[in-house]
Parts: sequence; C-alpha cells; structure tokens
Amino acid sequence: MTDDPTFSDFAAALRGFIRDSTRHELPPREKSFDGLVLELFRLQFAHNTAYQNFCRHRGQTPGAVKSWRDIPAMPNIAFKELELTSLPPGERPTVFHSSGTTEQRPSRHFHNAESLALYEAALLAWFQPHVLPDAAQMEMLVLTPPPEPAPNSSLVHMFGAVRKMLGAPGSCFAGRLAPDKSWELDFQQAKQSLNSAQRAARPLLVLGTAFLFVHLLDGLSAAGAAIRLPPGSRVLETGGYKGRARELPKEELHRLISEKLGVPRANIVCEYGMSELGSQAYDTVAGRGGARRFQFPPWARALVVSPETGREVADGETGLVRVFDLANIRSVLAIQTEDLAVRRGDGFELLGRAAQAELRGCSLMAA
Amino acid sequence: MNLPNYFLADLPDDAPLNAAMITEACQTLRRNRAQYLAGRSTPGLIRMLHSTAENWLAEDYPFRQLALKDGPAQTGFSAQTLAHGLDDFFKQLTAENLDALLVQELGHAQRLDEFTANSGAARDHRAALARGPELLVHIAGGSLPNPTLTSIVLGLLTRSAQFVKCPRGGAFLPRLFAHSLYDSEPKLGACLEIAAWPGGSEALEAPLFAEADCVTATGTDETLAKIQSRLPAKTRFLGHGHKVSFGFVSKEALHGYNTKKIISRAASDVVAWDQLGCLSPHVFYVQAGGTVAPEQFAEQLAAELAHREATGPRRQLSAEAAAGIAARRALYEVRAAHSPDSTRHWCSPDSTAWTVVFESDPLFQVSCLNRFIYVKGVRDLTDALNGADAVQGKTSTVGIAAPEHLARELARELARWGVTRVCPLGEMQNPPLAWRHDGRPSFGDMVTWTDWEQ
Repeated sequence: MTDDPTFSDFAAALRGFIRDSTRHELPPREKSFDGLVLELFRLQFAHNTAYQNFCRHRGQTPGAVKSWRDIPAMPNIAFKELELTSLPPGERPTVFHSSGTTEQRPSRHFHNAESLALYEAALLAWFQPHVLPDAAQMEMLVLTPPPEPAPNSSLVHMFGAVRKMLGAPGSCFAGRLAPDKSWELDFQQAKQSLNSAQRAARPLLVLGTAFLFVHLLDGLSAAGAAIRLPPGSRVLETGGYKGRARELPKEELHRLISEKLGVPRANIVCEYGMSELGSQAYDTVAGRGGARRFQFPPWARALVVSPETGREVADGETGLVRVFDLANIRSVLAIQTEDLAVRRGDGFELLGRAAQAELRGCSLMAA
Repeated sequence: MNLPNYFLADLPDDAPLNAAMITEACQTLRRNRAQYLAGRSTPGLIRMLHSTAENWLAEDYPFRQLALKDGPAQTGFSAQTLAHGLDDFFKQLTAENLDALLVQELGHAQRLDEFTANSGAARDHRAALARGPELLVHIAGGSLPNPTLTSIVLGLLTRSAQFVKCPRGGAFLPRLFAHSLYDSEPKLGACLEIAAWPGGSEALEAPLFAEADCVTATGTDETLAKIQSRLPAKTRFLGHGHKVSFGFVSKEALHGYNTKKIISRAASDVVAWDQLGCLSPHVFYVQAGGTVAPEQFAEQLAAELAHREATGPRRQLSAEAAAGIAARRALYEVRAAHSPDSTRHWCSPDSTAWTVVFESDPLFQVSCLNRFIYVKGVRDLTDALNGADAVQGKTSTVGIAAPEHLARELARELARWGVTRVCPLGEMQNPPLAWRHDGRPSFGDMVTWTDWEQ
C-alpha cells in the first residue's frame, strides 16, 4: 500500500466520529466536524490537483479558509470533466459512475479499499437508524440489479452493503440489466418475493428507485394482484425517472405504494444520494410519520444556497443543495449539486433538478 | 389596473371561459368586421395606426404609463427594458413604413382597396386585388409582445377580425395595445378579441379553430404541428417555429473608437428583451487576428453589460431559471480553472444578472438566455458557420459588424448558408416593420388574390 498515511489517519479519525455520533444520541458535534472538515480540506487541496486548481482560481486556499462554509464546493458536473481524486491512476479499484443513458461522459467517483470501507461504514451508520430503527435485520427485496452486473453504481453498491449487513435470509435483488444495459425489473421475481413475505407474515423491506417502483406498481395493477405486506414492512425509495417510466408526483407515488403494497405511508422513507457523495440523507425515520425533510448525518452538512448569490438562503426559501461530506475522503468533500430544495431548518425539502442543467441521477444506468 | 371590460382578457382571473363564450366572441367579431372594418380604406387605417403609435411614444400617454408601471409585475421585464422594446416597435410603426410594407409585399399600396396593376401587369391589361381572411386567429406563444403586436397591425391592414389567444399570464401588452386601438377608434377595437388560457385547451380551442379562416402561431415545432393537426382543412395556417440567432464581428471592425461602439451594440442585442426572443444572440463569433482579441472583446462586453445592468436591470428570475444559470456558470468556472487559455468567464457579482463566457472552441452553444452570452474566437465566417453547423436551418438572424466593403460578401455567405436575416450588430432584436419573418412574406398566405384580366 503506497497510500499517503495522512489520509489513513483521517479515515481512522472519521470512523471514530461516525461511531461516536451514532452510538449515543448526541447532538451533532460541531467541534469535531469543524476540525475534521478543515483537516480534510487541507489534505485534498494538497493531493488533488484538479481541486487545487479550482480553489486557487477562486482564491480560497487552506490558508484563507477559516470556516467549513467557505470551502470551495466543486460543481458535480466537474466529475464528468475531470478526475477529481487523490488516488493515483493505478490505485482506483472501484469507480462509481453517474447514471443516465443520455450521458456520454458519466461522473466518476474513484475509490480504493480504504475509502470504500469508509463509504460502507458511513452508509450503514445512517441507514440503520432511519430505515431499521427497530430491527437488527429484515428480509429485503431490492428492485435494482445486484452488484455483480452493475459494479459502477454507487446505489447498487449501497444496496449490496445494506443487504449483506442488515438483510435477513431470503433477501434478493429483482432487477436485471436490459440488453441496452439499462435497469429493468424482473416482475415475476419481485412478485414472488412479495407473495412469500405476505404468506409467511414476515415483514419485508422493499428498496428501489422511483421508476422501478412505478414498474412494480404498474405490473401489480396489470396482474390484478393485491399485496398486503405484513405489519412492520417498509419501503426505501430514491432517485428519479430519467424517462424510464411515466413520472408520478411524489405524493401520488407514495399513495400508490401504500395502496398496492399495503405499506403505511409513515413506513416509506426517501433517500437522497448521488455517486459523487459518500453519505446519504433521509427524509424521515420509518414509522415516525409527520413532516418530512432530508437530513444528512453528523459527518456531513447540507446548505441550501441562493442561485443568485451563492449564500445560504433563509429558512423556507428555495435554493441549490450544497453538501459538505467528510465521507468523500478521496474525492472532494464539498459538492455543489444542481438540485433545487427548500431549506427547512438544518434539513431540506427536495424540489427537483435545476432547469437546463444536465440530467443526472441514480435511477438509470448508462451503458 | 382599471381598464374597461372590452376583451375576454379583461375578465377577472377567476372568471372561467367556456366554449360558448369563444363561439359568441367569434360571431360578434365577424359581425363587427362586416359593419365597421371591411369597408375601411387603407390610408385611413394607416393614419389611425400611425397616430396610435405616436401616442405610445409620448411619455404622458396613459397606456404607455400603465405599461411601464404595471408591466414589471405583469411581464417580469424591468421598466427600462419595456420602454426600450416598446419604443423600438412603435418608432417603426409610421405611415411611411406601412406604405412601404404594402408596396413590398403586395406590389401596390392600394392593393387591398381596389384593383391595381404594376407597370408590367398594366401593359398586359391585368390588375389584381388582395383580400384578407374574415376571421384571423393568432396563437401567440413567445415571451415577447412585438410579434403579437405586429400580427395585430397586419391583420388590421387586411381588414380581418382578429382573435388573439395569449399564453396564460402573457396577455398584458397585447391587451394594452388592443385597448389603445379601441381608444383611438372604438369601432376598430370592436373587431379585436384578446384572451389568455394555457395552450392546448381542447374545450376552448376547438370552437375557435372551427370559426377561424386563418390561424397564425408561434411556438416550438411540436406545438405548431399539434395546432396544425387540429385545424379544419379549409383553414390556412401560418406557423413560426423557434429559431436561434448569433452575431459575427469581423477583425476589421474592431479598431480604436469603433471597438467601443461595437461592444455597446453587442450589449444592446444581449439586453434587449433580456435576450428572450428568437432574434436575440446566443453567441458572438469574433474574428481573431485583429487589434482586439476575441477574449478582450468578451472582457469589454462584460464591463458593458455590468454598466447596462446598473442603468436598466434584467428582470427577476424564478429560482429554477436562476439555478439554470448558476449550474451553467459552474461548468465554465471548472473549465476556466482547469484550462484558462481556452475558457474564461465573467459574472455579475452576487446575482445572475449577466454572464459572459469566452471559449476558443467555435462550437455553437445554446445560451440559457436572460443575458448569458457566449463569445467565441474564429478564424473567419466560414469557421463560425462550421461551428454553428448544428443550427443550420434553425438560424433566423445574424448581426454583423464589418466594414461596408466586406459586409456584402458576408451577407452573401450567410444567405447561402440559410440565414434569413442579416442586420447590423445592435439591431438584432429590432427588425424593420417590413422584415420577412423566417424569410417568409409578411402577409404570407393570409391574403387571397383576385386577378382581373381586363
């Protein structure tokens, strides 16, 4: 391993932070985050040339940046144009791509074993308290393809890790790659898994993208099938459509999921993530009900910034989501997304993608 | 706003329209036309249009004052942008220009009044008379008022009753113009109807299309195809699809004091109607090798746009539109940081008010508009046209800055390439009244001829 030891030191410190902040119900530890984020900024500035150029262009170097809010946020479109990583070319065993059949050049987020292990630790530590706060394990039906045929999808990797660590026996993937490499649902397999959970009265966790849920719901309607999943069953839904299904407003999608699968709406959790990020945000805790807003874990922060001024908007106002994510250890910690959201306290309500910006998202895989 | 209820668009927002109202409005228009408009003479109509236009140019004209006072809230455009755009339009609307338009398009200024002949036809003992459609329907699609106002003017000249359908929220200026005509001559105003609803509403458009003799429309190719497919075979259709425009600055034009003038003209083209029309430039191609490098042109243009913003601000944008600009700027910021020799960009501080992107790559880029302009360096016009390959056949106007002795050859090359309008830089969004929209005759198929072989 020729890894720069300082990144390893940081990884160890972050693991400690993740462990501490999820083991106890502590408020976000401002001090730890502030210290770690500036340390990671210094490391990335020193070892990631493309990012360094960007920071210098803005005149915001580690010497000049005093607060995490001032760390230059890399537009996520830059991940299509540049290799934004501190990993040398020979030491990038894993790469996650953004999705979308129309994209000739996908975003690329490179990982080595260490950064990937950190990615998994971070995702599990935030997934569990939101999706499975009351259960150590649950049987899972994942609507995406499994990791083997889709090695470049961060979402599939995440679902693979979740299934491995938190999936009860019987968990399965019901997605597959179509001949054009896009994702499609093996409806029969999904239906079988739903039926068997219903018969055995075992709660089921169904995970997938919005468009795969639409395919599932359309399939159930066409088959005249009525599924009533056992109590405790839940749904994790993420991502958009990319023209792969008729698009439904979120409300309508949740109403249909609730109606066709028998999962109460309070048990539907939405996830917000992207290939450029190591952490994810969830909009509720399964079973909790009430108002929804996306929140990142204590090791990541989101700001909603005005597209006019680039400064944080007031509560209730609309702007673009900017994420500072310590789990992005080997790429760039600060990401400027093209997603529009309404700021709700320290969380946000997602509105959609900015007009005219390139389409991107996790719901459709490029060839 | 306290305007009398003359038009459907004057009804309160919550008053729903229905098919019976549309049919009744069309029948009233036809009756009024027969009674008040069909028998009017061209010179009389021209006098009325000319004097209404002169009114609009007067600071104290109530409709102008209303347009500038309520316009920013109603249309989004700043008062300065509106004043400039309306002045450009109404300055063109003179008796002389209207006469010239008729001669150009119909061969004779009295063609719509009586049988007339040009010299060739007179020798052959032939004469001809042109008539307009009885009921002319305009489906206005764009965000700019000028094309709609022009349509109304042409329709009056052809003695047509007119029903102007605006997009929802887009009726403000056409409505004020209609009120001003009503004010000039109530009987002519009674031959006009203005209404607004979201395009594609079958319930309202089916009765409208059933009544129409001729339909004009602006919008996307898809919108035009949809409208056309719903028209009865007897109804004439004149569609204008979306187009793009760009500018070309020759190296000879950039010298000394002239450079400043040309930069100012380029800025005028960007700020006119906040760049939202089909005639507004997406890109300025600047020829390299002169005393002012394309990159310097971009930098000076940015300074001029900053100056213009201070005197006539751009309209306020929705968060979505601003985010579109922010995302596009972000892309160029990344490129500028990575390869500063081939990409640079200049942005208004703390706002999305204006953006200039310089790229050495001549590939045409569609701008996100609202004063977001590309400047690209090229070897010559051929280089620019190669870069604009993707918009060949989709290009309306090219604004050029070049010395007289070169301009003719540039215009010829542009015409061969398929451009339908070449104009001086600075005039892109200000076509003359007699211009041929998309290269088509102004009256197009609106008029029907009767030939008389004496």
